[in-house]
Amino acid sequence: MDENVLARLVPGISRLERTGDNTFASTLAIKLGPVSGSFNGSLELEELKEPESFVLKVQQKSSIGNAASAIKIKLSPVNEQQTEMEFNGVVKLSGLLASMGQRVVGGVSGTLTKQFFSNLESELERKQSAST
Amino acid sequence: MSTNGLIGKSVKRVEDKRFITGRGKYTDDIILPGQTYAAFLRSPFAHAKILEITTEAAKAMPGVIAIYTGEDLREVNGVPCGWQVNFKDGTTMKEPKHPLLAVDKVRHVGEAVAIVIADTREHAVDAAEAIMVDYEDLSCVIDPLKAAQPGAPLVHDDVPGNVCFDWNLGNPPGEVDEALKNSAHVTTLEFVNQRLVPNAIEPRSYNSSYDEANDRYTLYTSTQNPHLIRLLMCAFVLGIPEHKVRVVGPDVGGGFGSKIFHYTEEALLTWCSRKTRRPVKWTATRSESFVTDAHGRDHVTKAEMGFDNEGRITALRVKTYANLGAYLSTFGSCVPTYLHGTLMQGLYTTPKINIDVTAVFSHSTPVDAYRGAGRPEATYLLERLIDLGAQELNIDPAELRFKNFIPPFDGVNQPGYQTQVALQYDSGNYEGVLKKGLEMAGYENFRNEQKANSNGKLIGIGISTYIEACGIAPSAVVGSLGARAGLYEVGQVRVQPTGKVSVYTGAHSHGQGHETTFAQVVADKLGIPMDDVEIIHGDSEAVAFGMGTYGSRSLAVGGSAIVKSIEKIIEKGKKIVAHKLEASADDIEFANGKFTVKGTDKSMGFGDVALTAYVPHVYPKDLEPGLDFSSFYDPANFTYPFGCHIAIVEVEKATGKVQLKRFIAVDDVGNVINPMIVEGQIHGGVVQGVGQALFEGADYDENGQLTNASYMDYCMPRADDLPMIETGSQVTPCPHNPLGVKGAGEAGCIGSTPAVVNAVLDALWKGGYTVKDIPMPLTSERVWKAMQ
Repeated sequence: MDENVLARLVPGISRLERTGDNTFASTLAIKLGPVSGSFNGSLELEELKEPESFVLKVQQKSSIGNAASAIKIKLSPVNEQQTEMEFNGVVKLSGLLASMGQRVVGGVSGTLTKQFFSNLESELERKQSAST
Repeated sequence: MSTNGLIGKSVKRVEDKRFITGRGKYTDDIILPGQTYAAFLRSPFAHAKILEITTEAAKAMPGVIAIYTGEDLREVNGVPCGWQVNFKDGTTMKEPKHPLLAVDKVRHVGEAVAIVIADTREHAVDAAEAIMVDYEDLSCVIDPLKAAQPGAPLVHDDVPGNVCFDWNLGNPPGEVDEALKNSAHVTTLEFVNQRLVPNAIEPRSYNSSYDEANDRYTLYTSTQNPHLIRLLMCAFVLGIPEHKVRVVGPDVGGGFGSKIFHYTEEALLTWCSRKTRRPVKWTATRSESFVTDAHGRDHVTKAEMGFDNEGRITALRVKTYANLGAYLSTFGSCVPTYLHGTLMQGLYTTPKINIDVTAVFSHSTPVDAYRGAGRPEATYLLERLIDLGAQELNIDPAELRFKNFIPPFDGVNQPGYQTQVALQYDSGNYEGVLKKGLEMAGYENFRNEQKANSNGKLIGIGISTYIEACGIAPSAVVGSLGARAGLYEVGQVRVQPTGKVSVYTGAHSHGQGHETTFAQVVADKLGIPMDDVEIIHGDSEAVAFGMGTYGSRSLAVGGSAIVKSIEKIIEKGKKIVAHKLEASADDIEFANGKFTVKGTDKSMGFGDVALTAYVPHVYPKDLEPGLDFSSFYDPANFTYPFGCHIAIVEVEKATGKVQLKRFIAVDDVGNVINPMIVEGQIHGGVVQGVGQALFEGADYDENGQLTNASYMDYCMPRADDLPMIETGSQVTPCPHNPLGVKGAGEAGCIGSTPAVVNAVLDALWKGGYTVKDIPMPLTSERVWKAMQ
């Protein structure tokens, strides 16, 4: 996994450093409705089965609360041109994030997911144009 | 005794001038020389191990004076519980330590982990954010039913099954089972009385200082009972000699129960003020209030009421799981038991009653008394059951109540009513309030209109007839039930040499208007103008050891103590006058502020007598100078206000939206000193009760996060949610206190909730939707879903 690519894909990421084989330290800025803050924490790739799947474990801390998530991402080829990407996971929020941001969390996660995919799209386009 | 007509008059509140002009003085307004400010780092988790706390970076931040964590307070006691309840087998309830700062583990979101003391509030908050804590998140449990199940995550390792105690009251369970079995009909209801967040307008605030020169402490605190706080903090937590501590509850902006309790922050700030030799102040932010002010209610109940063929109640069986939160708050144990179980008789002649309560810990904010405290839960249970019974038996709910009411008794010519659940009611006329309520509501007309249902709207009427135990409380009785304090009150009346009067009461006013009501009583009894009377309260240095204000007790208990002192003053005054006017004390009469020798025109004014008492030149030889008396009054019984609340609602078929169209409250609170203040209390209470029925409720998610911990998401009732409240009254005097008063602080909140819910269910039922229950709050979504 190329951490530079990961940094470009994950919305709100401002710093990503490799700290181990599959672990990274990160700084993220996220706004969740009325609360926003800068998160420090770790990203960890587990159950890595290149190129099919991995679990992305994220632990983030901030003064407005903590977020912990485990997201399983699975890639399966549909045909030569297409790959299906499946992802699901759980996110646990705590502190102000949970008490103030709860009712917008669905909307925000939707937006972030969309952003992730549009980042992924432009990344793929970039790669494609680089390779052609 | 004399009267100048002040008792019974709607005198405008004298304290309001300072409140509405912004001149009230609250704890946060107090700035002491060398003032410092505290901020807390609080747990974001409901249940987690504290692995490591790093404070170095925070300590180096600007303005920081000190930072303490639970580790620094390992040897300091936790805050105590004021009421011991025993398990059914006689063993003592489980009382895990409630530490001032979390040690090793956090047990609810908002629990304090560290305190920062800095030169400004902002510096303290910044430094608190810079403290790093490593937690290991653990699984948690919030629901009281789930918490009591085997295998549930434990809140305290030494409390098996999370059960603090189990408790039973009433007739032997076998007798109640038998009576239910033999009943013609049994109405069963399983329901939740949801958790509420108190929301006083003034957040909790404390300012504690230590005077090294004299080894003395002063704590300013937003409390309902300064002496109780001093006792608990000194004797149970910090081990400071009580006479070295002054506790002041200045103006306090609302309590509703949430400011009775001795909170960890009070003791911790006092401890810190000694450590740092600086005054330390903290005022909760609204976000902190949501997760740290003790919450209210949170019962899960199954209740069964049996009826015979005529609709007479044969028996009542209740099983309640009460959520205590993560720790025992000061009176957390007595709310679901002695303030709840003992009210299961209601207004009815139910011959067999048994209630069983299991009180459990969970990973949530502690739960304690909130306006009504146990009695709203009891009333909700009974009034929902009898209404559901009426629907099921197809009897009019008003008729079913009349059929089952305890007949009127005045407690003088007829004895008090002995219930099956320990209490003896003082006096009551229950059918009277229902009759009056029905009349005000135009009940028959409404029923006809409802039957005709001409416009296809869902309209409903809900009745609630309640009783409460107030005037808390006879010390010997509550002592035998586990209270760790007496519940008398003290009242000192100090007549100054010029005849002006200073009154010191142990009751504490935080919205009740004591400065007006108590002054009315004193001025009326002494026949002097109200302006000549000053009510002093809330300062442990000024007032003798008093018990404070809660449980609708101030006038019934505190007012009675003042009356006792007034009686002593008049008696002494008679001796002084007798000597001066050369008559016998037995021949002196006191009326309208004047002492007169019976049958003569020889008299002395109250002011002259006062002056004589302090300038005793011509004075009885065996009489002490001065005119200053203090009395402690311990009531003979609780007082039992009661009433009838009626709600009329309209439910929108398409959306389930409930609109409260009318609200009628007929309350019998005994004699009334100031009708306007009583009405205000009823209004406030009704609004809070309607809030529970339609809007409010603390929502915890499965991770133990309070997800509606702000005014964006926690719905408080607003003026435009309510119709004008129509009040009516009836007076059945309390037979056992000198004022004949019963208390009015909680009535509105106790009677109103079931009236509203009954009205909504009546609307649905009469509209053809056979809905047994909708969990509160009755939001549009919940009502609509129930209709589908």
